[in-house]
Amino acid sequence: MPDTAIVELSNVDLAYPRSGELFRNLSLSVRPGETAVITGGPGSGKTTIAELLVGRKFADAGSVEVFGENLRRGRGRALNRVRRRLGGVGGIFGLVPTYTAADNITYPLVLAGVRKRARKERLLRMLTEFSLLTRAQDYPATLTRVEQTLVQLARASIADQPLLVIDEPMAGLDTATARRVFEYLVKASLSGRTMVLLMSDHPPGTLPNSTSYVIREGRLT
Amino acid sequence: MTRTAHIAGEFARSLGRHPFTALGSLLSLTLLYLLFDLYWIGAATVEQVFARAVAEVQMEVFVREEVAEGEVAGVQAEVAAIPGVTGLQYISKEAAREIMQASLGMDLLAGYDTLNPLPRSFVLTFAPAALTSDGLAAIAGELRRMPAVADLYYNAEWLRKTEGTQAVILRVGLALGILILVTAVISSLNNLRLMIRTRAEGLAQMRLLGASRLFLVAPMLLEGAVLGGAAAAIGWAALWYARGQVSFTHVAPVFPPLAEIAGFCLGAALLGVVSGYLGVRRMLA
Repeated sequence: MPDTAIVELSNVDLAYPRSGELFRNLSLSVRPGETAVITGGPGSGKTTIAELLVGRKFADAGSVEVFGENLRRGRGRALNRVRRRLGGVGGIFGLVPTYTAADNITYPLVLAGVRKRARKERLLRMLTEFSLLTRAQDYPATLTRVEQTLVQLARASIADQPLLVIDEPMAGLDTATARRVFEYLVKASLSGRTMVLLMSDHPPGTLPNSTSYVIREGRLT
Repeated sequence: MTRTAHIAGEFARSLGRHPFTALGSLLSLTLLYLLFDLYWIGAATVEQVFARAVAEVQMEVFVREEVAEGEVAGVQAEVAAIPGVTGLQYISKEAAREIMQASLGMDLLAGYDTLNPLPRSFVLTFAPAALTSDGLAAIAGELRRMPAVADLYYNAEWLRKTEGTQAVILRVGLALGILILVTAVISSLNNLRLMIRTRAEGLAQMRLLGASRLFLVAPMLLEGAVLGGAAAAIGWAALWYARGQVSFTHVAPVFPPLAEIAGFCLGAALLGVVSGYLGVRRMLA
């Protein structure tokens, strides 16, 4: 398993009915513990890559494999399995507005069938790690943009999800918080988690075991 | 267990978040089911009254004058052997005269004792299964074919009208039942669709986190079941209470047995699940 890529996009073609072709022969391979940093301008398809990885969109041609599961239409169970092992932050990954921050963070554990006591213990750890102890019972609408990002990061980590897909992790954050988020990413990378970072600009530092890509005209270079 | 608890928690959370939507849905369903319950009680009561009246239907079979008195016992045995006949009473000429005297209050044949023109007859009673227009017509046909029988009489017209009325009540009940069923389904369905629309964003996020569709809609199906079942139970409880408060002198309302009421409530709960499923069908697709 360690040699098998966790994310494998092979010759993916994707076109939108209105705006036309977005990807042509797009390929990406991310092995366990690796970080793929994909940068690109607005409309280049960064968020669409996140959508392909969680099976919210499907390739017109080529294949998208995550954790060895070929994400195609009609493979609901496989899709759910993949989504439960993937932690998403930013972009398409929002918060459930009717859940408190604590409920949002522990939701992956609920899906994994983790008991209440264990959920509470892990929640406490996450709240402490992300400085959210005082905001646990607050709803997303009352949280700041920074706090929402931190809640998403906590949610993406609470179940030790092996793959992190992070869309614009630093966008809208002040310098200090951006630095903190970057430190978290470094820590996650060092702990062996696989990451796909989708960013408009390059990260403020170098992430360990990372490969940088630029997405331009539907291809990764 | 964790997931089941979560589904139950989601259900409670939904009720807590939209209490008036749930209450409105519960009240409208209760009214619908109450209407149906009232019809059910009415129909059962009318049916019981009809059944009692029909059970009293008798047939008078008149014996020909030519039949000798000694042959009557043979005719009686022949009539009693007809399937469906459960009781038979022989009315002699003298007995007929006494009956007439008792009903009129005077003896019209006084002084004409040897010229009694009243016919001898048998008064027949029947098994409940034979007490239908067709059943009695078949028995009447068989009796008419007997040479000793001059004529017979029973209230065929009344019986036919009674049966017709019962059939109308049954048809109205079916139409009412279908109407209530459709209304209950549409009411629950709209309620759930509204709920899904207000929670669409959250549900989409949960899907992205790997929640299965069934896991997401289970609390809504549960809500449909609980609201439907509770509405039916409240309707029956209200009627049961009302029955205890009113004293009936002539005709007491006939309530269905408790097992049937329980079955009805379960059916209403199931209908709630069906409505819930129809409401979230698009999401499940």
